[in-house]
Amino acid sequence: MTTDTDKETPDLHDAAQEVLAPRKVYKMKDYVEPKQTEPFKHDWRNGVPIVIDLGRHTTRVGMAGMKDPSSVFPSITSHYKDKKLKRALNMVGNDVLIDSGVKSNMKNPFDGSIITNWNSVESILDYSFLHVGVDSRDFVESPVIMTEPLVSPFQQRLGLTELLFETYSVPKCTFGVDSLFSFYYNGGNTGLVIGSGYNSTKLIPVVGGKPILDVSKRIDWAGRQAVEYLSSSLQLKYPYFPSRINDFQVENMVKDFCYVSNDYQHEVSHYLDLDNLEKKDITLEASFNEIVKQEKTEEELRQEEEKKKQTMKKLQEQARERRLQKLLEKEHDYEYFTTMETKLKSMNKKEVVSTLREAGFDDDKDLHNYISNLERSLKRARNQDVGENDASDQPPSFDLIDIPDEKLDEEHIKEKRKQRLMKAGYDARQRAKKEKEIARKTAEEAAKKDEEWRKSDLSSWIAARRKRLRILKKRRKDRIRLKEELTDRKSRASQLRMKNIASLASEESEGRGGRKRKATNVTIDNDPNDTFGANDDDWSIYRDIAKGSDSDVEEEYEKRIYDLEEELLRYDPEFTINDTLQAQYSWKKSIIHRFVRGPRDWDPDEQHQQHQIHLNVERIRVPEIIFQPSIAGLDQCGLSELCEQTALKRLPSELGFSGDDVSSIVGDVFLTGGCTLFKNFDSRLRLEFESFLPVGMKFNVRRAEDPLLDTWRGMAKWAVTDEAKSSYITKKQYEEMGPEYLKENRMGCAHLL
Amino acid sequence: MPLDREDLAKLMDKLETAEKFKNPNRKRTKRRYRSLRQVLRDDEKRIQQKRDESKTPIANIVTYQSVTAPPSLKPVKTYCDITGLPTNYRSPTTRMRYYNKECFDMIKSLPPGVDQQYLALRKANVILK
Repeated sequence: MTTDTDKETPDLHDAAQEVLAPRKVYKMKDYVEPKQTEPFKHDWRNGVPIVIDLGRHTTRVGMAGMKDPSSVFPSITSHYKDKKLKRALNMVGNDVLIDSGVKSNMKNPFDGSIITNWNSVESILDYSFLHVGVDSRDFVESPVIMTEPLVSPFQQRLGLTELLFETYSVPKCTFGVDSLFSFYYNGGNTGLVIGSGYNSTKLIPVVGGKPILDVSKRIDWAGRQAVEYLSSSLQLKYPYFPSRINDFQVENMVKDFCYVSNDYQHEVSHYLDLDNLEKKDITLEASFNEIVKQEKTEEELRQEEEKKKQTMKKLQEQARERRLQKLLEKEHDYEYFTTMETKLKSMNKKEVVSTLREAGFDDDKDLHNYISNLERSLKRARNQDVGENDASDQPPSFDLIDIPDEKLDEEHIKEKRKQRLMKAGYDARQRAKKEKEIARKTAEEAAKKDEEWRKSDLSSWIAARRKRLRILKKRRKDRIRLKEELTDRKSRASQLRMKNIASLASEESEGRGGRKRKATNVTIDNDPNDTFGANDDDWSIYRDIAKGSDSDVEEEYEKRIYDLEEELLRYDPEFTINDTLQAQYSWKKSIIHRFVRGPRDWDPDEQHQQHQIHLNVERIRVPEIIFQPSIAGLDQCGLSELCEQTALKRLPSELGFSGDDVSSIVGDVFLTGGCTLFKNFDSRLRLEFESFLPVGMKFNVRRAEDPLLDTWRGMAKWAVTDEAKSSYITKKQYEEMGPEYLKENRMGCAHLL
Repeated sequence: MPLDREDLAKLMDKLETAEKFKNPNRKRTKRRYRSLRQVLRDDEKRIQQKRDESKTPIANIVTYQSVTAPPSLKPVKTYCDITGLPTNYRSPTTRMRYYNKECFDMIKSLPPGVDQQYLALRKANVILK
């Protein structure tokens, strides 16, 4: 009905789709491959302190008094064995990244902010001293100043002092907390230091240059956890992503695209709104080798087509031949049994019973049943393509058929047999053709009637169509629901299904054996003994026991709904594209599509789109965790809550703090570390402070000039002061007093009991 | 840039010169590895020992453990486990949070085990010991 009109007019479903401009696509950035091995510097001067900021992510090494570190490299090592050279060695830092074979074995000596692998640390220190240019013999002839975690466990410091004094025999060394050095470098004296680097976020109040460690706190969330979090979320968001997204790539995503939201709750609620997504969604594409489909010439294509057609034709011919053969057999059977039935009428009872028995029937009812079934299956067989493609409508000559066998020689008898077969086939084809013709005519008539109805009484036609659509939609919905219910083993639908299967099994096992019916080629499809299907409802058993996984049925429903909608779209003025099933499932309405595929439709076959990911909610969700650790299930309070508690409650009254007057300390809220580089990190904190501080209290939030390097610079600056000189532990002191001896300094190197 | 064998040999030679500034008489131990848990347990033990030895009670010791931020006292905001949007709904079977019916349908159709992976993102997964 509608298929004809479909070809003439454009598809109304598709016509409603607007064309949107393509999105900007960013390349997924991997790590930067170093062009050369780490250069060896000659900055070392005898006796000048060596400054090492051994961070969880990056190590910075240089000489005290200098402006910038000599070497900056990632804190990674890799044990590398070269089979040809027969040498093994720990490679460190950028040298690890230079070769993918070395990189694959990459390790980091830390667990949390604690050093766990001391061999790696020794390699890193070797590497550091070597690259800074240490040139003394049998010992490192320079004091060493290093970073350590906030309130380091005793084991840690023990490990470091042991390493420095025993392996390198340094004359003296001292330690300090990174954020405090940065604060010192940026001229801070009293303030609230927030250091958020790669491993943890620290909050250290400083008064008069001295940290108050009693009230300092650490949140176990920073850059590394953010990268891990984003990495596992992306794995869940794109479970079938064709390539692996490595941590370097995720780290670059966090650095480049994540930002802190000033009003998270509001912003996140509307993040997936289409207009917002249009502005904020980021499309990233992983690099991949594009498979270019080979273009075939027209000639080749044509030849291929031809080849295909021919084999197809051949196969069809064969199949048709087989079907015809079967049809003939059935027709023969039918003829035989119908004549038997008519004969039975003229026989007496005894004869009837014996003939029936012989043929393998119980009684005449059984025979009748058998015949009607046979008739039905004949009809079905004729309806198949028998008779189609038959070029010659002219009946072939059957001149030998009517001549009795006696008058023919052997060859002619053979020929006659053949002709008889051909005639039967021809007749069958003709009958089939007729039936088909009738079916076509009724369909045509129905279409004509339908059109007349539409033209004469549009409103009732529309009403009928709408009703049909409603029913179809409901059926489809029911199917989907059933499918869902079947996934639950205890649901009513599942129980019913099991019951059906059980009853089917018991029917089959009853068995009927011992019949001698003349039914050749009996398969499940054409066994006339089987009365299954005489009633249309019989078929529903398959629907009942199928687990609802046959997508064909669903597709059929969808196709029928689609066709109906096409008609309504064409003739019903009140039925718009928004009422269609497609619109209901349009990607624009799907929150998951918008989340996973961004503000555009998705074509699963397009290679570029297969290799693309979208960052949207994650852009603010990942940095938000530092303010709401509960998002990642971390049972610690967020940064702003911690600031509030520290500023208003924890600060000790001995130092003159009461809950109301903390203006001196909030007058300089200082941010340092890589995580504070998130866009809006400072403005968000400003808003948070404003919300919990008493009205009108003045405060100031500032970021370190260089949140990444200022720690090292502060160390280099501090290392040459008199204050530093007095806080070094000398090798002699270490040997005399043991590893527990320590001089406190104001850089967070606290006495550990 | 994959490393050239010759360059590699040179680099190795150079890196091994680090031996020159190291104490030749140092004790050499083979493997030095202590896990985070071991370190923290040792630290706790050490402090307990100090407490026992000391005659006057020691209050307010600052340790690596004690500077950990305390749990939050504020009400926890809840978000959809799939999309991250704010929500109050929770699936009764998987305990995953979802934003709307569409997300709920997705939760229902997740392959077995994936729901736990989603929950692991906020450490709400079931861990069998």
